[in-house]
Amino acid sequence: MKVESRTILGASLFLAATGAVYWALVYKHGHQTEASGIAMLIFGFAAYGMLFGYLMLQYVRRQGHPRPEDSFDATMADGEGEIAYFPSASIWPAGLALGMILGGVGAVWGLWYVIIGGIIFFGAVLGWVIESDVPEDDQNLQAPH
Amino acid sequence: MATAALNPVPQVVAHRVERAPSGLVGWITTTDHKRIGILYLVTSFVFFLLGGVEALLMRLQLGEANNTLITPEVYNQLFTMHGTIMLFVFLGPFAFAGLGNYLVPLMIGAPDMAFPRFNSLSYWLYLGGFLLMSAGFLTNNGAANFGWFGYAPLTEAIHSPGPGADLWIIGVGLTGLSGIFTAVNIITTIFTLRAPGMVMFRMPIFVWNQMVTMFLLLLAFPVLTSAFALLWIDRHLGGHFFDQNDGGQPILWQNLFWFFGHPEVYILALPYFGIVTEVLATMSKKPVFGYKGMIGATLSIGALSMGVWAHHMYTTGAVLLPFFAAMSLLIAVPTGIKFFNWIGTMWRGTITLNTAVLFCLGFLVMFLFGGITGVILAQPVLDFQLHNTYFIVAHFHYVMFGGSAFAAFAGIYYWYPKMTGRLLSEKLGKLSFTVMFIGFNLCFFPQHDLGLRGMPRRIETYSAHMGWNFLNMLSSIGAYIAGVGVLITVCNLFVSYRKGEIAGDNPWDGQTLEWACSSPPPDHNFEALPPIRSERPLWDANHPDQLTKVGH
Repeated sequence: MKVESRTILGASLFLAATGAVYWALVYKHGHQTEASGIAMLIFGFAAYGMLFGYLMLQYVRRQGHPRPEDSFDATMADGEGEIAYFPSASIWPAGLALGMILGGVGAVWGLWYVIIGGIIFFGAVLGWVIESDVPEDDQNLQAPH
Repeated sequence: MATAALNPVPQVVAHRVERAPSGLVGWITTTDHKRIGILYLVTSFVFFLLGGVEALLMRLQLGEANNTLITPEVYNQLFTMHGTIMLFVFLGPFAFAGLGNYLVPLMIGAPDMAFPRFNSLSYWLYLGGFLLMSAGFLTNNGAANFGWFGYAPLTEAIHSPGPGADLWIIGVGLTGLSGIFTAVNIITTIFTLRAPGMVMFRMPIFVWNQMVTMFLLLLAFPVLTSAFALLWIDRHLGGHFFDQNDGGQPILWQNLFWFFGHPEVYILALPYFGIVTEVLATMSKKPVFGYKGMIGATLSIGALSMGVWAHHMYTTGAVLLPFFAAMSLLIAVPTGIKFFNWIGTMWRGTITLNTAVLFCLGFLVMFLFGGITGVILAQPVLDFQLHNTYFIVAHFHYVMFGGSAFAAFAGIYYWYPKMTGRLLSEKLGKLSFTVMFIGFNLCFFPQHDLGLRGMPRRIETYSAHMGWNFLNMLSSIGAYIAGVGVLITVCNLFVSYRKGEIAGDNPWDGQTLEWACSSPPPDHNFEALPPIRSERPLWDANHPDQLTKVGH
């Protein structure tokens, strides 16, 4: 996680530095209407900063126990064990998308579509959540770490 | 070819215990990253053909002066939808969602994407987004007609009434949402599902470029979505964000849109840089020259692309010219590093000059040309003269079509054998490349001159006295020749699917892990993996006498 988090830290710091220079120049040259650009750069810095923080936390938590994918001389055997749960074919994602698309149509052409889309949407969410239950014999499986 | 003993992959446990449905239901319900990748590739390529037909209609109209074949209203819709389709639903999704889905898990030795069902949701939202934005053609007022960057106040309800514009907003919004989901999925996959030993600095350049692209997308698309929300409030809920008469600021739209729009340009380019890198390295039988420099260049391009949005707005007079000019010119440096590295990769290599390589070489020439005109346009003094002329049209088509789309074709010829198990016909491929290359340059090179002669973009016709007739005719002929070139590849795709030569697992003596599994790969991809000790593990396994030098 070290390389991953540092990459994002770099992006975050770059946006902070760019934002600061931009802010200073904008005010020096009297383009005060450009507050939007400054806001976007600062929020970009904060957004990447949060990601960096989360990844850094993961890295610190694993200190001394590097993942096999972060180890230069790991063998395939080091990755032994189950890594993730991969669901079988599922109709719910397509259903959920249909609900959202009908909601979009409804925004343009009227309430009826929103109602139908909403029913499909919540139905699909329900179906998805129920389906998501990991089978009993796989209780030790979790989403990817 | 030497085949080395491959280590088994003990960590992968298949949970696809239920038999996957077959036929159409199978495709609709699939959560397999390879099938979703193919869905994306096929769909976006069809959209490319549709966008191409719109372009050909426009060129037909512009072929001669005072042409009345297409009405101005329809012409406006055509160029709007051409831009929207090519940028939002072809170039981006083809690479980051299509090839990204198919290849990223394979290249890092993962069994699937991190969130397979989320992946499927992304695809269906993408398809729905396209259907919605195109549904405008079926309405009374027609589809959106204000250009793909939808400048306010032209997009306000009073200037663009009717459902066409609304459908465009919702459609592009859904496509953006689908892109964000894909970004989350690919980043999580890269961060958490790499095979043991696949440290970050051993990942193929294609995967690095995908990762940077996805981070750009995560930052850029939410800005577009929020701009759409403001526009929707303006159009339907009585807001005045972009309405000058009531205290709004039309330029706010431009700032928001291009803060999305310029990273978007690199979202449409970086994955294609990755394709070119992989193809050139494999076909030159060499490791990527300056591997870490290449990654550094990608990261720099990604970072700089977030600070150059207002170079699209020089002529508004409301932006800080020196800042944006400097930042824009800076991007040429990492891009130049990439060019040197591509040439370095080929240098003294054993190059196989097949169709994929030809398309890459075409990419190098034309992307460089588009990049140079980009440097010209990054300078405010020149941009003030050339803004909104055909020079711009020529510039970005050299970047997006001559650059990215040619790299897309290279990717098709390179990875088609992995996806289908059959090679594409080299004869048809080389013919397709030659015809496309000639047609493309004939179409877009004259447009530089048209721009210098003052022809504005987006006009539906022009007077015969302007002196633009010959160059326009040339450009239109070129467009149709390029269209024929594309069709040859389309025929090739169909013919070779049934009759192509059987490819085998590793037809190009590939270096990266996707060539370590069968063609097409089985469910959960790998039966066995070679040990990963460098950025080209398969090469090391197949050529133990020529191990890649590792310096860590």
